[in-house]
Amino acid sequence: MVHILKRMRKLHELLWIRCGPGALILPKEVSKISMEFSAKLYGGHRGARKFWREMLPRIKYRNPSIPIEITRHNDPDGPSLLHIYTATKTQPTQSSTDSPTAQQPATPPPSGTPNARNTLTPDTSKPTHTIDIRDQQESEILDALVARTGAEQIQPTELELQELKEIEEFKERSEKDRVEVREKLLKERREAEMLKLARGELPTAN
Amino acid sequence: MAHPRSLIAPLSRLTTLSIASSRSEIPRFASLPYQSIRCATTKAQPKKKKKPRNTFLQYDLKKAEQFSLIDAMHYIRAFEVGRNPSSSKYEMHVRLRTLKNGPVVRNRLRLPHPVKTDIRICVIAAPDSKAAAEARSAGATLVGEDEIFAQIKEGIVEFDRCICHIESLQKLNKAGLGRVLGPKGLMPSTKTGTVVTSVGSSVRNMVGGSEYRERLGVIRMAVGQLGFTPEEMQRNVKAFMDALRKDIAQMSDRISKEVHEVVLSSTNSPGFTLNGEFKGANSIAPKELSGPL
Repeated sequence: MVHILKRMRKLHELLWIRCGPGALILPKEVSKISMEFSAKLYGGHRGARKFWREMLPRIKYRNPSIPIEITRHNDPDGPSLLHIYTATKTQPTQSSTDSPTAQQPATPPPSGTPNARNTLTPDTSKPTHTIDIRDQQESEILDALVARTGAEQIQPTELELQELKEIEEFKERSEKDRVEVREKLLKERREAEMLKLARGELPTAN
Repeated sequence: MAHPRSLIAPLSRLTTLSIASSRSEIPRFASLPYQSIRCATTKAQPKKKKKPRNTFLQYDLKKAEQFSLIDAMHYIRAFEVGRNPSSSKYEMHVRLRTLKNGPVVRNRLRLPHPVKTDIRICVIAAPDSKAAAEARSAGATLVGEDEIFAQIKEGIVEFDRCICHIESLQKLNKAGLGRVLGPKGLMPSTKTGTVVTSVGSSVRNMVGGSEYRERLGVIRMAVGQLGFTPEEMQRNVKAFMDALRKDIAQMSDRISKEVHEVVLSSTNSPGFTLNGEFKGANSIAPKELSGPL
C-alpha cells in the first residue's frame, strides 16, 4: 500500500481539483462534452491534451452529471476538436464559423484506436458548438469553452485561497530542501569515490 | 579525581538495591556528579538483544482525512475523466492489523455486480453428457472434448480459463496438451482445483468470481467498473467486506486480525480512505454520479 503520508499529501493537495482555472458550472442546457485529438502531441495537439489532464477534472468535479468523452486517434494531421452538445436545440446550426475545420462533418472520422466506448452510447446528434483547438494553449481552449457556453466560474473562498498559498509555500520549501539534500548526497558520494581511488581500486568496479 | 568515584560507585549500587522502596534517600545522591552515577549503571545493565518486529508498522488514522463513499466516487470520477469506462476499475485496499508471519486471508468471492464478465471459459467434458449441458447453461463458451483438443493443438486458444470434468481427465492427459496449455497456466489439474465433478457451479463461480489475497498486510481487489452507480458500488463494497469479515472470523481461533483501514481508489486516481458512511454531510446527490462518465 502507498505510504500513508504520501496518500495524505495527495489528498491535502486535492484542492487543485476544487478551484483554479476550469472550476466552473456549466449551464443546464449543456448535455455532453466530447473531445477529439491525437494520441501524440505532434501537430498541435499539446494544448488539447493539457486541457484534458488539467482542466477537465475540474469541470467534471463541478459538473458530475455531464458526460465527458475523449476520442484519440493516431494521426497527427487529424482533427483536433472540442464538441459541445446541448439538450435543447435552440440554435441548431450555430456552429462556429471562425474556424475552418468546424465545417467538417460532425461524425468523427474512423479513428485508429479501437474504442469500445463509441459503441456503448451511439450518439448521432450534431454537436451544437465545435471548437477547433489545434495549436492552442489550454487556457485559450478554456476561454473559448466559457465564451460558447456562458459557464459560470467559481471563485475560491478566502479559506481556500489561504490553503492554496500554504501549499505553494510548502512546495517552494520542499524544492529548496531537495536541492540541499541532493548536494549533500552528491558530496558524500564523491568522497567515497575519492577514497576508493586512493585505495587503488578501479573506479569502474562498482 | 579517581578515588571519590571508586568509593561512591559501589555505594550507589548498594543503595539502589537496598533502598529502592524508600524515596527519602534519593535526594542525597542527586547532588553527586551525574557522570559517576551513569558509569555505575551502564556496567550493571548488559546490552539487550533487539527483538525483530513481527507486526507491520501501523499508523494513526485520527489525523487522516476520511471520505464517505459518495465523496470518494465524486473525486475518482473527476480523476478518471475521459478514460474508457470499461478499462478503468475501482479498487479496494484493506489494511489489516496482523502478524507478518501468520496465516493469510485468501478466498474468492462473487460480487453482486461482477467486475469482469467477459471471461471466456472452456469446459472439457463429453459433449452429449449432462455436465456439458450444465456448463453451457452456466455460461461456458467452449464445451467439448476431441474438437477442442484438435483446436488447441493447432494453436487456437480462445479462452481465459479451462475446466475439466473429472471423467474427461484421462482423455485430456492422453491428448498431450500440457505443452500448449501449461505455459499459459490453463492446464486443468486437481492441484489448482480446475478438475471438478460439478461443472455448472464452478463455471458460475468463475464467471463473476474474483480472487483476493492478503499480501504484506493488505488485501487488494477490483470491486467495480467505473460506470457503476453509488448504490451498486455500495452493495459490492458491502459484500466484499462481509466476505472478508467471515474469513477473518474463521481463522480467529488461530490468530487475531482486524481491519485497520479501507481505501478506495481507481486506475488513475489517488486512494481515498473511506469512513464507512455512504453519504457525507455536504456530498452531492447519488443520482448525479449514476450517469455515464
